[in-house]
Amino acid sequence: MNFEIISPTTTDELLVAIEKCQNRHFRFGAGCTDLLMELKKNPADDLTVINLAQVVDDRLTNLTKTSKLYRLGSMFTAGRIVVNDELKTHFPVLHESAHNLASTQIRQVATVGGNLCTASPSGDIACALVALGARCEMLNTNGKSRSVAVTDFFTGPRKTVLKSNEVLYGISVPLNNKETAKIYSRFIKIGTRRSMECSVVSLACHIQTDAKGVILAAGVAIGASAPTIRLAKDACSSLIGKTFKKITRKEKEEFAATVLSYASPITDIRATAWYRKEVLFNISKSIFE
Amino acid sequence: MKKNSIKKETLHEVTFTLNGKKVTCKIKGATVLLDLIRDVFDLKGTKSGCNEGECGACTVLVNGAPVNSCLYLAINANGKQIETIEGLIGHDGTLHPVQDSLVQSGAVQCGFCTSGMAMAIKSMVDLYETGQHVPGDIRTELPSRDEIKKYLEGNLCRCTGYVKIIDAAEKLFAKEDCR
Amino acid sequence: MKKELKVIGQPIPKQDANIRASGKAIYGHDIVLPGMLYGAILRTEHPSAIIESIDVSEALKLPGVVCVITADDVDVNNIGYKRDHPILKKGEACCTRDELAAVAAETKAIARQALKLIKVKYKVRKGVYDAFEALEDSAPQINQFITGKFENKNIAEKFQYGHGNLEEEKKRSRHIISRRFTLPRMTHACMATSNITASYNNLDKKLLLYSSTQVPFLYQRDMAHALKINPSDIRVIQPVIGGGFGSKLDMHPFEPICALLSMKTGRPVQIIYSREEEFIASPIRQPMIIDLTAGVDKDGHFTFREINIIKDNGAYTSWGATTPFVIMQSFSSLYKVKACSFNAMAVYTNNVFAGSFRGYGNPQATFALERVIDLLADELGMDKAGIRLLNANEKGEITGQGLHYDTCGHKECLETVIEKSNYFNHKTSGKNDRYKRGIGLASMLHVGGGAKIYRSDGCGTTLKIDPYGYCTIITGSNEIGQGSETVLAMMAAEELGIELKKIKVINTDTDVKPWDVGVHASRTSFVAGNSLLGAIRLLKEKLNSKAAQLLNIKDADFEYADNKLISGKSGERIALDKVVREMHFSEPNELAIASFFYEPSSKFQDKEFKGNVSGTYAFAAQSIEVEVDTYTGNVQVLDIYVAQDVGKVLNPLLLGGQIEGGIMQGVGYALSEELLMHEGRILNPNFHNYKMLTASDTPEIHFYPVETHDKEGPYGAKGVGEAPLIPTAAAIANAVCNALGLEMLELPITPEKVLKALDDKKKRKK
Repeated sequence: MNFEIISPTTTDELLVAIEKCQNRHFRFGAGCTDLLMELKKNPADDLTVINLAQVVDDRLTNLTKTSKLYRLGSMFTAGRIVVNDELKTHFPVLHESAHNLASTQIRQVATVGGNLCTASPSGDIACALVALGARCEMLNTNGKSRSVAVTDFFTGPRKTVLKSNEVLYGISVPLNNKETAKIYSRFIKIGTRRSMECSVVSLACHIQTDAKGVILAAGVAIGASAPTIRLAKDACSSLIGKTFKKITRKEKEEFAATVLSYASPITDIRATAWYRKEVLFNISKSIFE
Repeated sequence: MKKNSIKKETLHEVTFTLNGKKVTCKIKGATVLLDLIRDVFDLKGTKSGCNEGECGACTVLVNGAPVNSCLYLAINANGKQIETIEGLIGHDGTLHPVQDSLVQSGAVQCGFCTSGMAMAIKSMVDLYETGQHVPGDIRTELPSRDEIKKYLEGNLCRCTGYVKIIDAAEKLFAKEDCR
Repeated sequence: MKKELKVIGQPIPKQDANIRASGKAIYGHDIVLPGMLYGAILRTEHPSAIIESIDVSEALKLPGVVCVITADDVDVNNIGYKRDHPILKKGEACCTRDELAAVAAETKAIARQALKLIKVKYKVRKGVYDAFEALEDSAPQINQFITGKFENKNIAEKFQYGHGNLEEEKKRSRHIISRRFTLPRMTHACMATSNITASYNNLDKKLLLYSSTQVPFLYQRDMAHALKINPSDIRVIQPVIGGGFGSKLDMHPFEPICALLSMKTGRPVQIIYSREEEFIASPIRQPMIIDLTAGVDKDGHFTFREINIIKDNGAYTSWGATTPFVIMQSFSSLYKVKACSFNAMAVYTNNVFAGSFRGYGNPQATFALERVIDLLADELGMDKAGIRLLNANEKGEITGQGLHYDTCGHKECLETVIEKSNYFNHKTSGKNDRYKRGIGLASMLHVGGGAKIYRSDGCGTTLKIDPYGYCTIITGSNEIGQGSETVLAMMAAEELGIELKKIKVINTDTDVKPWDVGVHASRTSFVAGNSLLGAIRLLKEKLNSKAAQLLNIKDADFEYADNKLISGKSGERIALDKVVREMHFSEPNELAIASFFYEPSSKFQDKEFKGNVSGTYAFAAQSIEVEVDTYTGNVQVLDIYVAQDVGKVLNPLLLGGQIEGGIMQGVGYALSEELLMHEGRILNPNFHNYKMLTASDTPEIHFYPVETHDKEGPYGAKGVGEAPLIPTAAAIANAVCNALGLEMLELPITPEKVLKALDDKKKRKK
């Protein structure tokens, strides 16, 4: 494994570095856990890594709150999500997804931005962010930013809309509905072990109800079931207006079938497509149990 | 071979604190912390079990947080506090309470995972002491057995079945003055 | 014997644990010798191919490369007990591990880069990856080095055994059950990857090896044969070993390759496997298909067992091929059974070859047997605990195979776990309909006093006491993490009345230590312990007579306590160090030193595999409760109750460690661990996809030692190391089947297999 490394310390330096690398093969290094694993297996020739770890910029590394959203800098780590009280209260699914990511050690360095940019169909935090309706903010070398919904950020396995002159700057998660009284949250990760798993199938859901238990908003995302993490839109909208605790067995199964319609899983060494579908149906039902 | 692949590599200077001592060295960009610790600083207590972040044998503490040193770029150690297993032992040769608890609990068999395990447990003890282990207020109760298991999920062990390692951590918390 | 024990039985931490916990222990990975080179091995790209040429010229040109070897550059013998395994392969590649060339270079990176510059021309051919296919006439001969001893060209090894009148017992049977069981490839996954450092001195032609072998003396001999040199010119030093579990019983090609690189370069050479290489090229538990037919009479007594086993031998023969020695014991002698007919063969394929793995075939056998016992009980309408208790082995029994159970805790083990696990009143449902609970029982039989498979199953000890009252135990046995050093030191402390800190154990150097067959067959505490006790007896005779002389008393019956010899009659006492000084420094000037070679009373089995092969036998039973998630198929092991006949608890702390560690390997075997192969290639050579269990998967383990005080064992102890993992997978499988009301015939019981089985059951109902 060999590469050149550039370690900008400010965002301006970072943008200059990206500009400089436009004609080179370069990759971003955030927590570098996925990147180093990949490069150790398949060393790349003439690679430059733009090391984001030393950039001092609150917008890149910290959590901020506005009247509409929480914004996580893309270098915010999984470990910091886990110990953040506000995030746990408002977005329990995000907390759970971070807590279930890899291992204690990996979580100390793995970042939200890294989890998104790796664009793995089984990304844990990414799946929760899709369920939460989060948006990605990208900054280009001219200092201009644009944003897309996380759902639209992924274009395929390991592929994103990020252009070569852009860096993922931050992720914003919209605040919960003002009338929300209770959140039904699940992060279900299916694997053989209880830890150190890469999901065979995952499901993230964030359902907000009012004081009477009527569903105001619902986000359900599925991982490792399609080329990208998918938001089960129709399944979400089918829930609006229903009373969470009064969802019938039939409705549950219809909901699960709708979720399943978003899945086009593959068979690989970890599981067959049959298993993935079967489990996805079952765990979709289980949200209401 | 392509010409540019044999060009002279840029070396980067890094300065950090290793087990309480300030050190400086020049490294290649792709050097990982594990190799720096073992091969340059000759601290062989940190083990390479898989070199891909899956086993935790190479766990060291970076500013108190446990990381897999095999997946940590040495360049990012710059300015940080790095602790390895060698840093735990006292100058007079007394074992750190974490090490002692592992020994007394029968948690050491082949011992290859032990360095990483000890560092992970130490970081957990430190977190509880400072109350940074969970969101919210500082908790008063000791971690449950399940919380210990969860914390140690990234450290594989083939000999012990983990039971005595979990015991060792549990005993340590019972002893520690955790608020 | 009756005297009160002071040290034995105490929970004393491993004496070397502090050095290991401090990071100061030197493993093979940590060795750096002056001028040392780094070796790397080129393996075939294709599991089955003709090797047309190997061109190393570009690799040799790379700056920093010192030496490159292929089969053409070396004059060596094949390895493996069948001598069917070339160290470096020439002409053809027969499995994915095949070593084609090796490099020694100044750095690891250069060595790895050099491998990429070696050009190999392959002519890929169709391989044979299924043992049954290999037995067909049309199959090619896979291994070219075998002598054709058997009827089929691809049979590597065969075992046949029988006792009793099979036909009569079949007739007598009320119920007969037949099933086929499929067992996976599991690998040791030692935390330290395989490693060796070889240093050849071309002045005196001596070879020094820093090797993690479990069997240094057999290894020395095998290495000498492979390299065509004198065994005594090889010195084997064992650094601290990062896990064994049977994986280091065979000598593997990388070891003589490393020696060859050192011999060629005259410099020390080190080879350390990457984790991927470890998964691809280190041994596995032998995969097999077991056809078992078993019967039971109307009262629930076992009548007969008929067993046919096909083992996938892989391309070369390792000790793994001999696992039927152990497998047949369980079928012939675990629970009383009137008749047994056993056939097993190991068949060459182009898959990876096996090795030995803790349990040595027994987890496979026990899985099949204990599953069928549950089915027989169901057929009879008898409870599953009752049928086991009715047929349990007993003290004094001589089994059909000729095993003598001088002590036997089988029934007590079963009774203990049945009671402790609340077997008859366990919960059947989880928190809701989604979760089902079940409980499963299994027991096991294993050798507990070594196994006489080599000419000697003995162990030598030299014991000395220095003029300061410190004791050095030089033992043939070795430490692979299990704590044998500590147990031996405890025995010496007990017998000699000196503190543990005054006892040193020397056990790592073949130039120094006396002969021993090695660490395997759960034998070390038993055989090395008895050997040490023998040496202590001899040394005490010398010390006693000197002490009697010094104290001017006739009686030479001394007790040893507090670093003193105390006369049994008069109570007069004299310091141990003083006695030793007087022995050394006054006439007739003799050393306080004694040597003893212990050979267990076990016998070789005859050609029909009958005979009392071990000094004693260990028994265990486990009762395991599981909860199955019917939505996902995940099996959660809740509580494991284990009772094991250990003879006598020598050290409860270390014993507990062996039990818990073994059980977790058993849980992995049952639920998650499998080296997946497709057409000879390993699909999951990493911890990411080879699912070794983590701390968060650890169930609660409740252990109840059963002490039967075997007269052959040191303080009555039996071997314990392998037993804990042997019945675990069987008990878990029984528990899962109990929870779901269906059958599992394959390991590991992955979530997908559970869901599939539930789906099949649903479909059958419809």
